[in-house]
Amino acid sequence: MFESLLFAVFAGIAIGCALGVVFHRNPVHCALLLVGVLLSVAGIFILLHAQFVAALQVIVYAGAIMVLFLFVVMLLNIKGETPLLTPGAAKGFGFLFALIVFVELIWTAVQPGSEGQKMPEAVPLPSDFGSPAALGRVLYTVWLYPFEITSILLLVAVIGAVVLAKRKFF
Amino acid sequence: MPPTVPLVWYQILAAILFTIGVVGVLVRRSALVIFMSIELMLNAVNLSFVAFSRQHASMDGHIFVFFVMAVAAAEVAIGLAIIVAIFRNKETASVDDVHLLKG
Repeated sequence: MFESLLFAVFAGIAIGCALGVVFHRNPVHCALLLVGVLLSVAGIFILLHAQFVAALQVIVYAGAIMVLFLFVVMLLNIKGETPLLTPGAAKGFGFLFALIVFVELIWTAVQPGSEGQKMPEAVPLPSDFGSPAALGRVLYTVWLYPFEITSILLLVAVIGAVVLAKRKFF
Repeated sequence: MPPTVPLVWYQILAAILFTIGVVGVLVRRSALVIFMSIELMLNAVNLSFVAFSRQHASMDGHIFVFFVMAVAAAEVAIGLAIIVAIFRNKETASVDDVHLLKG
């Protein structure tokens, strides 16, 4: 009961802030509302016994990435756009395609499956589920090579960001 | 302790957040807000991964979330550098004003 209540609260905050991100005029407010979405999703992660992922979400997303966003918004001194949305037919098609995507996602989530079978019951969790130790054990054994390749990806991103920020284009 | 909130509710929440992100990408004009909408969609997918991970009592979903976060960080660094480069040259951050490839 208490879990359902927390889920409803976090889900409501997340959806409300997400709507604010998309429909608010001021980019600074958009960024701060996005922090609200990220924090409430972190709360839902904790409801799902994913403590370490929730901590990562708060530190990496709400900490590092959002600071980068706010820094760029304030560096560029972007005014609120007028008009807010793309004009004319593009806006209508945007909402139409989003509606199609939504119906498709909901249909995939609620349909009973091709042979009519139900979703399997939740498996009982081991006691260390979601802890840093359990995640590290899987990450450094099964997923060791993808983890190492991720470091190369981040190196490329750092070099790319420096090159893009330094040179003059166009 | 069995979960009291069924999996399908997490899936529906993820679908709603993802759709709001899609709307943002399709109808907004500011490149920065489009980037924030992409982060919104990535978060919806992360939520879906973690919910399935809890359902199957497997840590693999958490690993995927870890990699998605790393890719998102790289993507934001590069994307914001591109936005800054465009703004320094064209004094705009609106995607409607950037049409170099249009001929």
